[in-house]
Amino acid sequence: MVKIQSILSIVASIVKIAGSLLILWATFGWKVRKTRRAFERELIKQGMSKENARELSVHYKVLKDQLMSTLMHFVRK
Amino acid sequence: MSEEKSERKKGMGEAEEVREILGVVSTQIPALIRGVVGAVFSEEAGRDMGRAAGAFYKELRESGMPEDVAVKMTQNYIGVFTSLGDMLKQAVSGKGKHMHIKVGKEGEEEIGEEIAKKIKEKIAEKTEGE
Repeated sequence: MVKIQSILSIVASIVKIAGSLLILWATFGWKVRKTRRAFERELIKQGMSKENARELSVHYKVLKDQLMSTLMHFVRK
Repeated sequence: MSEEKSERKKGMGEAEEVREILGVVSTQIPALIRGVVGAVFSEEAGRDMGRAAGAFYKELRESGMPEDVAVKMTQNYIGVFTSLGDMLKQAVSGKGKHMHIKVGKEGEEEIGEEIAKKIKEKIAEKTEGE
């Protein structure tokens, strides 16, 4: 009985980890967009053109892609 | 018969241990990732970085730098971010030349020991609390 309880608890923990990671992954793109927008807004406030601000904020997307590929590399390992 | 009983007891003990470890890991790992991601990718972090980059750009422009050069220099300034990703990638793949992170089997063992130590501490804290 104790063993069944332990196994159920292990399965619940795995589901919890997987769920949390899935939520993080799903909201990551949205967070990056929000960050980029805030970043662009500040640059425009300082007198930069919209196009240049957008060009500079691409760094956030590059960083996101790098982080994701690093994570994938780590998971595959 | 008694051997079978002790084997079963051992199996139960292991399952119990895995349950406790996963119980701690399932809360710690997502929180850790959330913290790391939140430090770089949040509205506040973006605003702060934008303010810093904007001030840099403004200073360059006010000192008479042509716009394209000022933008290029600001781009290099922001590029430090991207190199952060590169650094992380190198650290994970074990190609870093100047990083003092132990890689390979020795490093993995050391990290494993450290994680096991932390988990044991957390479990002890939890059981003490109960």
